[in-house]
Amino acid sequence: MARLWLLLHGWLALPVWAYVFFICVTGTIATVSHEIVWLFDPSVRASQPAGIEERMGADALIAKVMEQRPGSEMQWVSWPVETHFAPTVFVSEPSGRGVGLYVNPYDGHVQGEAASVGFSTFMRALHGWLFLPWTTGYSWGWYAVAFMGIPMLGSVITGILVYKKFWRAYFKPRLRIGKGARLFWGDFHRLAGIWSIPFIIIIAVSAIWFFVEAILSDTGVTVSTAGIPTVLERESIPVVSQSDDLPPVSLDGMIATAQTAHSGLRTDSIFMPGNAFDPVQIFGRGSYPLVFESATIDPYSGEVVKLRRVSDYSVVELVTNSMRPLHTGDFMGLWLKVIYFSFGLLLSMMVLSGMLIWTKRTVRETRDILREGRAGRLEPAE
Amino acid sequence: MSAGVQRGEARTRLGRWWQDWRFHLSALAVLVPLAALPRYYSDISLFTGDAGLGSGEAKHVQVGPFDLQIAEFWLTAPIDMGVAGARKQFSVSLCQGCEHRIRAIHARFGKPRSLRAAGALFSGSHVRQTADLQVPPSVDSSDNLWLTVEEWDGTVHHGDIAVDQVSPATAAWLARKEKQQ
Repeated sequence: MARLWLLLHGWLALPVWAYVFFICVTGTIATVSHEIVWLFDPSVRASQPAGIEERMGADALIAKVMEQRPGSEMQWVSWPVETHFAPTVFVSEPSGRGVGLYVNPYDGHVQGEAASVGFSTFMRALHGWLFLPWTTGYSWGWYAVAFMGIPMLGSVITGILVYKKFWRAYFKPRLRIGKGARLFWGDFHRLAGIWSIPFIIIIAVSAIWFFVEAILSDTGVTVSTAGIPTVLERESIPVVSQSDDLPPVSLDGMIATAQTAHSGLRTDSIFMPGNAFDPVQIFGRGSYPLVFESATIDPYSGEVVKLRRVSDYSVVELVTNSMRPLHTGDFMGLWLKVIYFSFGLLLSMMVLSGMLIWTKRTVRETRDILREGRAGRLEPAE
Repeated sequence: MSAGVQRGEARTRLGRWWQDWRFHLSALAVLVPLAALPRYYSDISLFTGDAGLGSGEAKHVQVGPFDLQIAEFWLTAPIDMGVAGARKQFSVSLCQGCEHRIRAIHARFGKPRSLRAAGALFSGSHVRQTADLQVPPSVDSSDNLWLTVEEWDGTVHHGDIAVDQVSPATAAWLARKEKQQ
């Protein structure tokens, strides 16, 4: 039986090993892509200027940005959960161009502009959908990448089945160095494999969910309980002669109102209305950090018209909404990203070592076959 | 003999090459993102507005006192989105200073009978807002694209533009559809 599992284990990954390796490597880099940008681009850092202790409130921060970008219109602002990153204020410029601005949270200075395709966007698009376009629903690239979750899960399962009493290797790890490449890669593959079982299962299962999610979305099926987007009632919109006569909108005021309505709500990002019937939306990571909570606010009255708390999600949604953060590792801070990165490297190396084991064995078999073949030809004819 | 995926027993040069290299051929998958990259960048510059209002040339439409510009987002015919019907996206930009007076812009194929039926609502900044319109089955090539502007004081204005002016591909699609009927 183990032979059959090993055969299956090989066939699941070997024929596509280079493609899977490519997905694993790009995904591994994507988990820490923001951190890589942080290392190389000082404008994304939330550096504290000398003499300023406090971070600015939302209104003061936006006012300061608008001073530096006259004529621009603020569309959204986000405060990264990792506070060593600068907030991003996304504006629409008078030319019609939309651009993200990295803003110092202490003095509101615009430190730089986000590239329309920055390093992390690039890595995410490369890993997630191979840059293939999203024209009529999910990109074919998304399907092509997410599908690989199935052979990946199959590889873990068959790998465990092949490896009799694998748990013993937790107590007696074996990595033979200096006894030839075949033994080293074999040991490495097994050792890295058993230590990565939970990680690979998380990555594979979430990838399979992404595949299912795309099918559901493209066939018009939803598991969401969020309901249709809020459109403000025509009657609730004030009649004024010009938009300048509308009461001023205070972001700090809305954050406070939202927190009164739901005391645990964090403010990670605020989206401004896209039109006169559109509400303001505040998003924040929930107490269960894998899903987002939100408050929908009428900008004219300042009242909360809709709340979406962790308790408002169905169980199915809590599970499915957790899939993305579980896949990317972006929900507990830097330390978890580093763990994801390390296991991502291991997983990439497992794909590579799996292939190497096969080629090393192949080299041996090739030699045998060639020898046999030559021997065959040398045999005297009867 | 070891278990697992066997190398095979090919003895010809080509057969051996295939057996040694067949599993490395998936590396060619890397060509897919490479080939898709130029289109990816051109799409992004369209989304950010770097490429202008839309893919199509922006046209002026006079709606009451307002001079708006409209462009089709993609140069394609309407896209069949299943239950959502045939869809077509447009972007508009407002005349300078008009943003203080304009409360909302709607668009639809065919003349709207009332404000309630003014069609899709544009969303975005005053220099660039987009709307996703359904092309109802009843629309034919004689129908224009109608824009409705609501002012903050409640005044409503209508204006229209011929479909072949703003989207030749949609006009051709409508004409083709009529011929089939």
